[in-house]
Amino acid sequence: MNIRIRHLTMAFVVLYAVLFLQVNRWQFLQRDALVDDPRNNRVTVRQFNSPRGRIVTADGDVVARTVKIDPKKRPNARFQYQREYPDGELFAHVTGYYTVAFGATQLERTENDVLTGKTGQQQVQGVDDLFTRDLTGTVELTLRSDLQKVTQQALKGRVGSAVVMDPRTGAVLAMYSNPTFDPNLVASHDTGEANDVLMKLQADKEKPLLANAYQERYMPGSTFKVLTTAIAFETGALTNLSNYPVTNKWVPPNTDNPIQNYGKKTCGGDLAEVFSRSCNIPFAQTAVALGPDTMVNGVNAFGLEEAVPIDLPGAATSTFGGDSDYFKDSLALLAIHGFGQGGVQLTPLHMATIASSVANGGVMMKPYVVQRRVASDNTVISDTQAQPWKTPMTAATARTLTSLMEGVVREGTAACCMQLKNGVKAAAKTGTAQLFDDPKKQRSHAWIMGFAPAEQPRVAVAVMLKGVNEEISAGTGGKLAGPVAKRLLDAALSLVPSG
Amino acid sequence: MPNATSPIANARRRSELLLVLLAGVITVAAYVLASLGKNASIPAGLGPFLAFVVALLLVAHVAVRFLARGADALMLPLVALLHGIGFVMISRLSDRLARLQATWTLVAIAAFVVTLLVVERVGDLRRYRYTTLAVGVGLLLLPLVPSLGFTSGGARIWVNLGPINFQPGEFAKIALAVFFAAYLAEYFTTKTKEEGTLIGAEPWRIGKLVLPEAQHFVPVMLAWGASVVVMVFEKDLGSSLLFFTLFVVLLWIATERTSYLLVGFGLFAVGAVIAYNVFGHVQTRVSIWLDPWSQYESRGYQPIQALFSLAEGGLTGTGLGLGDPAAVPAAHNDFIFAAIGEELGLLGSVAVLSAYVLLIGGGLRTALRADRAFDKLLATGLTTIIGVQAFIIIGGVVRVVPLTGVTLPFVSYGGSSLVANYVLLALLLRISDTTSRRLHETTDTASVWERLEAWRARRASKKTEAA
Repeated sequence: MNIRIRHLTMAFVVLYAVLFLQVNRWQFLQRDALVDDPRNNRVTVRQFNSPRGRIVTADGDVVARTVKIDPKKRPNARFQYQREYPDGELFAHVTGYYTVAFGATQLERTENDVLTGKTGQQQVQGVDDLFTRDLTGTVELTLRSDLQKVTQQALKGRVGSAVVMDPRTGAVLAMYSNPTFDPNLVASHDTGEANDVLMKLQADKEKPLLANAYQERYMPGSTFKVLTTAIAFETGALTNLSNYPVTNKWVPPNTDNPIQNYGKKTCGGDLAEVFSRSCNIPFAQTAVALGPDTMVNGVNAFGLEEAVPIDLPGAATSTFGGDSDYFKDSLALLAIHGFGQGGVQLTPLHMATIASSVANGGVMMKPYVVQRRVASDNTVISDTQAQPWKTPMTAATARTLTSLMEGVVREGTAACCMQLKNGVKAAAKTGTAQLFDDPKKQRSHAWIMGFAPAEQPRVAVAVMLKGVNEEISAGTGGKLAGPVAKRLLDAALSLVPSG
Repeated sequence: MPNATSPIANARRRSELLLVLLAGVITVAAYVLASLGKNASIPAGLGPFLAFVVALLLVAHVAVRFLARGADALMLPLVALLHGIGFVMISRLSDRLARLQATWTLVAIAAFVVTLLVVERVGDLRRYRYTTLAVGVGLLLLPLVPSLGFTSGGARIWVNLGPINFQPGEFAKIALAVFFAAYLAEYFTTKTKEEGTLIGAEPWRIGKLVLPEAQHFVPVMLAWGASVVVMVFEKDLGSSLLFFTLFVVLLWIATERTSYLLVGFGLFAVGAVIAYNVFGHVQTRVSIWLDPWSQYESRGYQPIQALFSLAEGGLTGTGLGLGDPAAVPAAHNDFIFAAIGEELGLLGSVAVLSAYVLLIGGGLRTALRADRAFDKLLATGLTTIIGVQAFIIIGGVVRVVPLTGVTLPFVSYGGSSLVANYVLLALLLRISDTTSRRLHETTDTASVWERLEAWRARRASKKTEAA
């Protein structure tokens, strides 16, 4: 019998070896495939059954939070927690959304580890204190809820974007785009309902899901003259004493089509005058005089052709519309691009960083929206330090540009609308980007960029109103975007503590 | 009684005590971790729980120390470990089931002690072989009695006895193992190597293959019949397979003829093919096994969730209390192995597999050491029950075999299963102890009953003397 019992033992060993191999298959070899299987909703279930940290503004407003679902009120709730955005649309383009079936966007995506307590520091904290199950972190924004609300109201009824930032640090104080969306609707646990909302938003031609302030780019119009002027000063091609002939037409090289000033006006004079009145011809001539290489290198020094390195995902890349070879073949286009028409495209955020660079003595700071990441035990995981991104001009050039932009507010295209409260002096440059996409109806975007106080800038701003209707298209940047910028600068100077 | 003249037995008991306490430490630590993981708090009533676990383990150990001193030292600790891990998983899944399981644990340990107390010499069971047959068959058929038996989870294996429900099949398997060991031992103890064959008829042969004698077809057919009854009328595929494997294995070991094994599995194959063609529930089980993915929305949901659960655990697991094993329907019962795999990872599931392999090893070592046919066969049979049952259900969860609902011995939630398996463990320890006495590893001291009898006799004789 003993031999048979030994055989039986061997048989059991073989049987259990098969089990061992099969368990290895599911838990090791094919594990990833099973975990990633679309039918496997364990990850989602776990996420929505766990708390998730808050996103709060610099002035202490909670803009994203998770609330425990009361089973008495919602007995059929699929999960234990619901993500909420108390301010609705206000911060949608910054926080993004966090959904059951459609993933997460913006900070909800990039700050996921902090919010769920998965950063190394939070995990170590979890080991230290076994009783702290809630390891969720808090993300503190540089944006202010009060200023953001002013921005929302200032853009009410318009399609467009506004960005307010601290030029000294790059901290974004407000950033809003119209149209936007209510992330609460997308965060619904009813995936069918959420899907309907998303489909509708995706079908909207004004792209409310896209954070237009930094994910969409627009022709900048005359605001671009700030760049052309800076480049000319940097290379010594321009001085304060430069003079331009008074004319209404100029034919650039290699073409027969003349360039005209806005509204076919006759325009000319010294630099201060052509800058504040925003004549086109002097800047077209300057761009051609500088040549393709200098212009392209110059705009690249401002960060064009690069995505703005903001701590938000998917920032669009501003562009000059071509490389130097492209412009060597067509100096006429270089002339047009020189005053911000044609193929030049910038994001409103990028425009705000350019205004900031002038305000900050020529140093362009890296824009950011997350100031601090804080663990559940109130220890700071990270505190964002201001970092320079580019230095497109010297301090001297920045000073010259500031005085030119002050002229725009004092007696130029923004004189109508940029007189700040308490006599604070602002510096600005307007832009009216003429789009020739529809021959019957002329459209244009209204732009303004600037900063205040001009002597010691604390706030920089960029406003872009999209030319979607007659009113915008008929107006100019100064008249339309100017009042918005004034409102934002006034609000920012009074709301943001100086320091 | 602790005895200085039995160093081997004493050493075994010392090892057992240490290992049992280790299993207790692991259980309590796992219980605390599961509570920390789930609720971030030390479990309420940790003190009483600790006392409860230690008391039960000590009771079981002391029972062995006094009633089966020479028994194997490994089996009780292994069972305590499996039981502990199972209990922690159940308590982590449901407080209500944990309370019931705790009550059943008390009953199971009591049954363990009573079995050791009542079955003093394993040979005693041999005398009751026809009683055990009657009890076994009766228990097996009990769920079929109208108004008494009922169907749950698709299988008619339950009996309602007033306040409690139980599965008589869990006890039937032990009774039938005893009967078969006794029956086969009776036929084959006379057989020796010199005799070569049984007394009497020359066996039929086909070439070199010796066919089973006609009279031995009787138990084979009986086993086959019992399996068919279980499969057809109770729709319990797992138990059916378990019974049949038990009988065929015992027949094979007793006769030492591979032909029985072949004939047995041939019969099983025929039965399986017929069952597959006749019964819808068999076809369903097989089709889910072969391809659960195409029926994810319906019948494949549970086994696929079990795979997701195992995959979730990965190498080291999510940690106790930190996974989501409740996503698998019936995680506390048929699918508890998936729950363990999720929260303890590959390391945990392999540890459980290893515990079963070691337990089977302990049982078969007991069979090997035993010097009487009945003891050998019974130890083999009981071990086969545990080994095959664990294989069937783990194999079902990890898709090695079609899923059939049997409990994972000592681990799954279920009172009948737990009590029956502790009785089974007591019998294995008893066989081990009996062998140890025969081998003079321990002094063959009088048992409790024998001492009681002696005391009575002395008193009676004193009385007569006095009179």
